[in-house]
Amino acid sequence: MSTSHADPNPPDSAEATLRQALARGDAAQAGVAPVLRHLLVAEDHGLFAEEVVTRVRGTLADLSGQLCHAVTVAHGLDAPLPPEDPAVARLARQLAEIPALLAHVHALALEAQAAAQLRARLGLDPVLSPLVQALVASPEAETADLAMRFLAAEARFQRQVLAMRLPLGELPPELLHGALLALRECLGGAGGTPHPDFAACAEPAAEAIRANYDERASRLGLAARIVTGLGGGVVAALQLPHAGLGLFASALALATAQHREQVLLAIQPGQGPRLALMLRAAGLRQAAIDESLAALDAGPTPAEVLRLDAARAAQLLAGG
Amino acid sequence: MAPATPALAEARSDRADQLIAAAEPLVGLQLRCGGTLPGPIAIPELAELVGRARVLRLKLGRPITAQDGHETVRAWVEVEPELDAEGQATGCRILVRHWQAAALPAEDSEALISRRAEIDRALAELTARLDARQAVLAVEADVPDLAGVAAAMRAALGRPWTDFVTIAGDIHHQPLHWRLLDGAELTVAGSARRWRARLIPHGLAGAEPNGFELCLTSDEPPPLPAPATGAVPELGERLVGRDLAPVLRQPIARIIANAETIRAKMAGPLAEEYAAYARDIATAGEHLLSLVDDLADLEVIESDDFATAPDPVDLADVARRAAGILGVRAREKRIVIAAPAEAETLPAVAEFRRVLQILLNLVGNAIRYAPEETRITVSLERKGDLARIAVADQGPGLDAEQAARVFDKFERLGRSGDGGSGLGLYISRRLARAMGGDLVVESHAGEGARFVLSVPAG
Repeated sequence: MSTSHADPNPPDSAEATLRQALARGDAAQAGVAPVLRHLLVAEDHGLFAEEVVTRVRGTLADLSGQLCHAVTVAHGLDAPLPPEDPAVARLARQLAEIPALLAHVHALALEAQAAAQLRARLGLDPVLSPLVQALVASPEAETADLAMRFLAAEARFQRQVLAMRLPLGELPPELLHGALLALRECLGGAGGTPHPDFAACAEPAAEAIRANYDERASRLGLAARIVTGLGGGVVAALQLPHAGLGLFASALALATAQHREQVLLAIQPGQGPRLALMLRAAGLRQAAIDESLAALDAGPTPAEVLRLDAARAAQLLAGG
Repeated sequence: MAPATPALAEARSDRADQLIAAAEPLVGLQLRCGGTLPGPIAIPELAELVGRARVLRLKLGRPITAQDGHETVRAWVEVEPELDAEGQATGCRILVRHWQAAALPAEDSEALISRRAEIDRALAELTARLDARQAVLAVEADVPDLAGVAAAMRAALGRPWTDFVTIAGDIHHQPLHWRLLDGAELTVAGSARRWRARLIPHGLAGAEPNGFELCLTSDEPPPLPAPATGAVPELGERLVGRDLAPVLRQPIARIIANAETIRAKMAGPLAEEYAAYARDIATAGEHLLSLVDDLADLEVIESDDFATAPDPVDLADVARRAAGILGVRAREKRIVIAAPAEAETLPAVAEFRRVLQILLNLVGNAIRYAPEETRITVSLERKGDLARIAVADQGPGLDAEQAARVFDKFERLGRSGDGGSGLGLYISRRLARAMGGDLVVESHAGEGARFVLSVPAG
């Protein structure tokens, strides 16, 4: 407990340290109740569902494992480190300190969860949506080829989610860059590393990962390319039941200049107005907005949203 | 992964994210966005994407959106950084795979009307509040040439505003319906300028207005206040370089880009003579652009505080670069530029950029005035404390009288229509002298001209 009045005794450094430790403990204890209450009350709340939290933890461990594996390969050993290896655990904790990476992994867990719900409720195939089906059948070879590659990437993603895996090549480039910086810091940092020989291998490992990376081949890169190629036909990708969640989220993010992660948060229960606003900002009319909201069981489009034009809706989203 | 289909266009950037090569339609967009080739990437989202790929050293693929004032372009762009042996990015390969241009959407009419009203309010040099019958209730003017009419209106509040102005083509002096007066051209006693009236109705939309705001605007600037006797008002220093050149460059670049588009018949087939006109327009535009640059330079070197920043430079290297830069232009006239050999060096102390500027001017002149299929020789020589570089051509040369005048400001030696401004040699000589050297010509009519630049040897 800290005291606000002046201490009559001369300052004692040992006591001061203790006081600080107590204060920290107080803060931690004060946090227990609200967090616990939130987790208990928000049981049905997808954002912090145990499944989602577990997936986030597992995915970060997988990313960390891949980064460490690249280091062992650079070192000449081709044996992945076990997940319980201290280096893997330490790097995983470091990765969780990167807010954008955490948000991305969280959003992917939410995406997988929502896709599974859409399949259960509407029978919407997470891999082969009507739009993907139509694109695969396109007479244009390039479009059909892209759609096939996206289909394969989406199928891979759905399988990997179950296994809590996320290949480094699927990360957006900025996040991969952040992860590589974390790798370097973790291995070369002042705290030393559980495997001193590995420190020198961080750089070559990072270079190898960079050289192998190609945003275009990632699921999100392919989705963005397909959406861009749709041009004026992007409306088709903005209808959730038609496009499937993967393309829908990419299309809406591109149309509203929001992060894809923000779109995935907006499809969560209770976020109907935000999603409606995003769809409005993307230039959709009521019927189209209703359709996507209904697919998510997010209620009718709020009347306030329908009174706004696209530009105003975009302004509101941008915080204006 | 290398996508099987060929790219629509390919481009390259260097390690400073300058666009160094590009194909259409990217070139056109770069120019329309006010950029040059080579030059910094002027398309904001592309510049960001390329910069990011280079810094992250990762292959990226993303959609970009750009507006050039007329169109919105959406494109899918892929950027592959190219790494050197140390893993540093030396530049990027840029692939464009999808390109869609759409006319900018017309603003909806209501927003347009309210924006126009805002603009007119902001530009108005006289504003007045009118009642429903267009009688003046209050008036404000903030320029001297409208003070008179504002005073007259103020003295006779309640009379229609049309009594105080002369409306072009108006024969009945009755207040007309406001819609007929909105936008009318008029003249005002006491002002030599032409004015335009703008009536902004007040009241509920759709109903008869219950009052108006009158704004008088003019396309002409207000007259300058008469100079106080004895003191001549000085123009701001560096008027051209600081104020005018940046404003002029973009529209001129646009003229050139559009003319080039017409000339290349990119928008459709065109009769040959029209393509030739377009080429003339582009050439004239380029001339104008170089004139702007020359004038900006002129202003800088004529200012009192002009100084160069000398460094050790290798004149042989500068000469080879100048020859390389102008090689294409020379080849068009089948002229050979004989630059110093790779192994040659001539150390000097001078500002690299300025020496290059002078050499580009000298070699450029030689290409312009020498006959086809001749040779331009760039030779080096050290003489005492001076390093000298000579540019000799096999053109008609200069007689003694011309040689005496050739370095004068705006001297064209009777030439015209060839893209010269008459400033290049004047500027070059000033630059050479500012670096502690000189620029002279040795020539006799009929034997070609030989310009010699000397700077302190290193």
